[in-house]
Amino acid sequence: MSTTPVRRLPLRGADLVLVAMQALWKREGVSNNTLMIVQCDGPLDPARIARALERFLGVCPWPAARLRRPFPWGPLHWAARARGPLAAPLVRHRHLSAPEALHVELEAELNTAIDPRREPPLHFSILDSVSEATGPQSALVVTWFHPLMDPRGGQNLLAHLAHLDETDGRAPWGGAPPAFATDPDPRPLKTRGRLGRQSQRYMRALVPVSPVSPGTGLMNPGRVRFMQASFVGDDHGIGGVRTTREVCWRLALVGRTMADLWRRRGLPDLPFLVPVSVDLRPKGELGATFGNVLAFHFARFKPSETTDMATLTRILRDQMTDALRDGQIDASAVAMEFLKYRPLSLMLRDLPGTATRETFSFNFADLGDVPPALDKLFGRRVVNAYHAPSVLPRPGVGVFFNRCGIKNNLVVSWVEGAMNEEEVTRIVEGVREGMRWRPAR
Amino acid sequence: MSTGNLSRLDPEEVAKAVTDFINTTIMARSRPVRPDDDLELAGLDSMALLKVLLFIEARYGFWMPDEDLVAENIRTARAFAAYICRRSA
Repeated sequence: MSTTPVRRLPLRGADLVLVAMQALWKREGVSNNTLMIVQCDGPLDPARIARALERFLGVCPWPAARLRRPFPWGPLHWAARARGPLAAPLVRHRHLSAPEALHVELEAELNTAIDPRREPPLHFSILDSVSEATGPQSALVVTWFHPLMDPRGGQNLLAHLAHLDETDGRAPWGGAPPAFATDPDPRPLKTRGRLGRQSQRYMRALVPVSPVSPGTGLMNPGRVRFMQASFVGDDHGIGGVRTTREVCWRLALVGRTMADLWRRRGLPDLPFLVPVSVDLRPKGELGATFGNVLAFHFARFKPSETTDMATLTRILRDQMTDALRDGQIDASAVAMEFLKYRPLSLMLRDLPGTATRETFSFNFADLGDVPPALDKLFGRRVVNAYHAPSVLPRPGVGVFFNRCGIKNNLVVSWVEGAMNEEEVTRIVEGVREGMRWRPAR
Repeated sequence: MSTGNLSRLDPEEVAKAVTDFINTTIMARSRPVRPDDDLELAGLDSMALLKVLLFIEARYGFWMPDEDLVAENIRTARAFAAYICRRSA
């Protein structure tokens, strides 16, 4: 028997929710993969990435860890033996016949579910292609099991690898590596327990009936697909404030495109329930890499309320303000921490539609700007970067914003059977029009 | 929570209070903002802005209405302070 010490990183709040959400679809074997795609202005050297990854594992083992839960009961955690026996995640390298083949490869990545109990929770792919317009280029793709980290964590991991690549042969981070995961909440158990119960009461009262989603009634979900489009155009608004960058305005806009879908399908005018993730990292620095460092706000509005964008934006802002004022966003983060004491099957019972697997109406996130630390990567300039997560059969669709340099990226992920390509194209066009964006070249 | 003597607000003190709030509750300890720093460039997003508005409500006793959320009033901690002092005069 090996006596090598094992290091453990417990799954926390939102990580546990993501594990539990996937467990609702265990029989269907749906993927919990998420992708970050970084397009570079020339070919990347796989050896440089593999070397940086090796160095990273020397200070942080979690990319090579396995998901474990002690038998018969105990908290879910990432487990990694000491550096010696760790096998680095794969860095695959492929040449594509044409740039158009990239999307096919990416969708295959999204659908090939990572089993973190048996393999590392992430891997890298370098996909090379040559186009007449731009010459040879590479896309660096990070594919990971979503509960390992959130999109900002994925960006941070790449930023750390880029730093290790730049400091090859010298002490990285000035000899003092940053914290790669957050510390546990220092507040006393009594305080956290009170907040947890407060959130539980709030969640149960939030929406009296199960939400409806495009995936409602879907029994045999198909593959996860995604559509990505890049646009240019400034955010605009009143008095110098870029209203169209505000998360509530963007949610109202996406809500309007969803209401159009609801009308076309003849779905009932029941309130949408939409989780809005709130990044808990302090601003101004990268922050934690591993763990989904998120709290949640839950937006509610009816499809019929989306006709007046200004009013809806104000309603959504008021909801968010009230949630902040009442401490519900903080309480949601605390409540999620207590999920570690529950079996998977009971984790989501405070959501209104868990019994029927109807958790939300659609997914939505604005991931903000790609940090300047990713302007360059392994000797290449980053041309664009975006995030493509899988979505569950219900809701069956998610709309995600991010920005890289001057490019505004819009990604719509969906599940075949819940949505079709024409409907997704209509959502993309509706958002583009609402944002007054133009296609990026 | 104290609302202080609103008629005697000192813009410098208010700017310091807003800056301190942002630095203790929103910014990373290693990346504090100064009163004249552009808050959007410093990384403040929609949620962070709402936190600042709630701080103003709690400390100075009023809510900034939507029509006042223009760049002139919210670009920097000092801009917030100038607005607060005008409102309180």
